Parts: sequence; structure tokens; C-alpha cells
Amino acid sequence: MSGLRDRYCVVGVGETEYSRDSGRSTRAMAVEAIRAAVLDAGLRPAEVDGMLSYQLADSTPAPWVAADLGLRLNFYLDVLGGGSSTEALVGLAMGAIEAGMCQTVALFRSMNGYTEVRIGGTGARAAQPVRGLDLAQRPYGMTSAGQNFALTFMRHMYEYGTTSAQVAHVRAAHSRHASQNPKALLKERVTVADVLASRWIVKPLHLLDCCLETDNATCLIVTSAERARDLRQRPVYVMGVAGRVSKPRTDFHWAHGPITRVAGYFARDIVFGQAGITPADVDVTGSYDAFTFTTMLQLEEYGFCAKGEGGAYVSSGIIELGGRRPNNTSGGHLCEGYTHGMSMVIENVRQLRGTVDDYCPGGREGTHSYDYAPGRCRQVRDATIAMNMGWASPPTASALILRR
Amino acid sequence: MPVVEYRGMALVIPENDSEWKEYFAAARAHRLLLRACAACGRLRYPPSHGCPWCADLGWTWREVSGRGTIYSYEIVVHAIQPGFRDWAPYPVVLVELDEQRGQPTVDEALRIVANLVRPDFRPEAEENVAIGKRVRVVFQDLADEVALPQFTLTDEPLAGRVWRLA
Repeated sequence: MSGLRDRYCVVGVGETEYSRDSGRSTRAMAVEAIRAAVLDAGLRPAEVDGMLSYQLADSTPAPWVAADLGLRLNFYLDVLGGGSSTEALVGLAMGAIEAGMCQTVALFRSMNGYTEVRIGGTGARAAQPVRGLDLAQRPYGMTSAGQNFALTFMRHMYEYGTTSAQVAHVRAAHSRHASQNPKALLKERVTVADVLASRWIVKPLHLLDCCLETDNATCLIVTSAERARDLRQRPVYVMGVAGRVSKPRTDFHWAHGPITRVAGYFARDIVFGQAGITPADVDVTGSYDAFTFTTMLQLEEYGFCAKGEGGAYVSSGIIELGGRRPNNTSGGHLCEGYTHGMSMVIENVRQLRGTVDDYCPGGREGTHSYDYAPGRCRQVRDATIAMNMGWASPPTASALILRR
Repeated sequence: MPVVEYRGMALVIPENDSEWKEYFAAARAHRLLLRACAACGRLRYPPSHGCPWCADLGWTWREVSGRGTIYSYEIVVHAIQPGFRDWAPYPVVLVELDEQRGQPTVDEALRIVANLVRPDFRPEAEENVAIGKRVRVVFQDLADEVALPQFTLTDEPLAGRVWRLA
């Protein structure tokens, strides 16, 4: 167990609308999400004195949005990166506070991932000159995340007999969850057959195996457990965190080791070791569902099932609301919208508070029906421990274990 | 500084490119060169400056056979780069070279990304692409100083399981 277990908390969460038509700047969205998180925590803006953000040269720096809210910062850092950043920045926020550099940190991601810099790589990104390491892949028509990950998925199918139908259950489950989420971009439930009938993007990925480019901003507030006791929300404690854990190389990870092994393999012992628990103790998981396959790979690498049995695990019903360990109860990147990972942490914080924003009257105050029919409840009963698994690409992983 | 236009992309290989310049120039001479560590002798790809196995900074270029086996593949149906739209569907293959397979551990190998092409450099038909099939390198000349290593199927006997997505 880590010396920092239970000593830091996520005390506030905030987000903008998930849309494909924000019509405004990343700065405007970031300010809205941060303000929502600060108010959610019951803090005054001036009580936030640290800020972290992550971006891919497609967003607004932390000190600019801090100024918009009248925050004078004692610490800030804008980190280069997309997926896997959220969990890593929670750990960095803890470190900054522990070092005495600041007391309360807002960390955010703001992106017009559909209307401005498309995460899928079409538009401006497709026209960029190809140089350096990009010469190893882009001249071969391999540039998008799906194209970069598909070789891993295909090899997993070869080695373990994993099927498209098995992983399609991830989309089906997450779509069921999204049907109880008023914020979700795609609220309609889909079936395994719908996934398999959708058009091919890059085999073995169908359209519905892929997530949704989205415009939105998201924010978490991290502070000490001591400070958290005086705040508005039931504290959600950090039990363990692992940040940007990598395979032996991330530039061209094909070069080392089995390619079906993703970096969660290395993050697992760090995060569970700190938390002092095992996967069996986790009630709710948050996978990085950029694709159906990424969920399957993460769940098996973190030990929720044996390596190679991810296909059976995700198609067993365990990951659905009402199942033993629901995954991405908001609908996740596949259905709620794509945020580079932050939204699944927000969801798990709300799960642990018992205040998921579903369709239950009084749901945000903690009154839930636990009726998982469409348009009803998505609160997991008695959720005590939740885990998030961040993913930048197969060779980079972050992880976060939270408890109420 | 070579800037080669290929499928609407500018491939940029500056004079000070310490990794790729000689690699692509060798490809233009239809030779596949990898870096070999001056200390432990192990090959590596992509071209880099330290040895991932012993951290030695010395290296030399060494020619390899360019023969190997398809370790994984994908079929791009929806091209992202506009210049590939008239090429889709096209296969991207991860080729495991014969040299240094299973070295220094059973999970390691020299693996290279490329397209699987026919002799005329059109994309190989999907039904012919499978994990386990044997391939050899061919060189697609793009300019005076640059060629793109690609792979094409061979009629060598197969060793091991051959599988493709049904």
C-alpha cells in the first residue's frame, strides 16, 4: 500500500454539454466546465490555486482560463497528451499538493474534437507533412487511432480466438447505459447484430466499434482528504494511481514483446499495489473505450479476467448495469462522447457518491430506482470501489482506483 | 532536403535526419538496411541511436534479407488520408523478418509496417492477406533519393498456422 492511499480526494466534477456543434472556443468550454466543478465541490473559485490541463496543441492553456475565473495560481502545467492523461494528472495534482506547491488543483481537458481538430485524423491532420518517426507508418496509409490499433486487435483474434461478435457486446452494453444518460450523444440502444452490420472502417473494426468525435470540456478538482472533509460533496478517495506507464517502447511498440500485451500489464501491479486490493474488490470499472477492443484488452490486462479471455468476459453480461461489475455506466466514449478519458472518471466519482445524473427524479440527490430499463436509472447499488483505466495507445496506460 | 510527394503527402527527409535519410537512400538502391549494435550485434528497427538491449551508442548499417512472415494485418476500408481513397481497400501488414526472430526473448522480433502489394504495387487483394503468410521486400521507387520498402507474397512453403479474418 502507498503512503498516500486515502489522503487525497476528488471533490468536484464538471463538464459541458457533449455535442458535435459546440460553436464556441475551447477557452469558453473550459471555463464553463471548471466553474461547474468548483461549484460542485462547494469551493469558492479563489480557493483553487493549482491547475493542470492536457492537450494536443488543440486547446487553451491553463493560466488563460484561470484568469477568466479570477484564479491566481500557485502552480500550473499544461501537459502534452490525450488519452491516459486524466489519471496521470490526478497523481501529479497529489504530488504538487504533497510538495507544498499548492492546495487544490483543477485539472481539465477542453476540445472541439469534432468541429475543430478532428480526433479521427481527417482534415488538417491528414494534410500534415510526414517526417521523423511518422515515416514508419503514415506513408503506408496508417495514421488514425483505429489504423494504429487494428494490428493489435487482429493479432489478439489470431492468438486467442477473440471474435468481432464478442467485442460488439461492449458497444451493446455501453449503448444500454447511454440510454439512461440524458447527456449522451447516442442514447439509442444497439445490438451485437447492429454492430456487425455496420460498415467497415478498418478491419477488424466496424463503424460501431469506434467512438464518437465530440466537442466538450471536462474538469476534476483534487485536494487533500483533510480539506475535503469541509466541502460540499461526500469525498471520493484516491486509493491508487498509475500514470503513463509504458511498454518497453512507445514510439514503435511493435518492435518489442507480444503486441497483444498492452501497457495495463505493467500498470496493474502499481495501482493495485498502492490500493491494497485486487480486481475482485472493484464494483465499477471505467475503461478507455475509444474502441470496443480497447475495453476488452484493458479488462483482461488489469486482471478482471485471464489474458486471452477478454472476449468471453465482455460478452458475459458482467459489464452491463445489473451485472457483477458494470463498465462505463455513462455510455463512455462509444456513446456518451469522446473526452480523452476524463468523462469516465467523472462518472465513477458520481457513482461512488451515489448521485449519478440519470433520469431518476432526485437522482442527483441520491434517490435512485435501480430500474435499468431505457430512460430510467444508471446508478450502481452500493458502489464502493471504482477503477478507471486510461489508454493513450497500446503501449501507454494510466489507472486510478477510487473509493467512497 | 528531399521532399517527396506521395499520395498527396509531403514526405520530408531533411539533410540532418539522423534516422531515416540513409535508410530510404538504401531502399532506393533496393537494399533493406537495419542498424546493428556495434557492441552486442543485435539489429533494431526503426533506426535509432542507442541499442535497446545494451544502450551502446555505436552502430553500423547491415543488410537483411527482407524475407519474413505476416505477424498481423489490417484492411483499411475507410481511408483517412485523401490520397489513399482511390487505393482502398488496402492492406497494412506487420511483417516479422526472418533475422533475429525470437531473439533475445521468444516474444521479440524485428517487425516492420508496410503495405502488402502486388508486383505492380497495387494493393494485394484482401482474400490473399493472412497472418502466417510468407513475404519478401520489394521497393517502390518514389524519387531519385527515396524508395518505399513494401512487401509482396512469395510462394515459399508455409510454416505454422495461417489465419485471416473471415
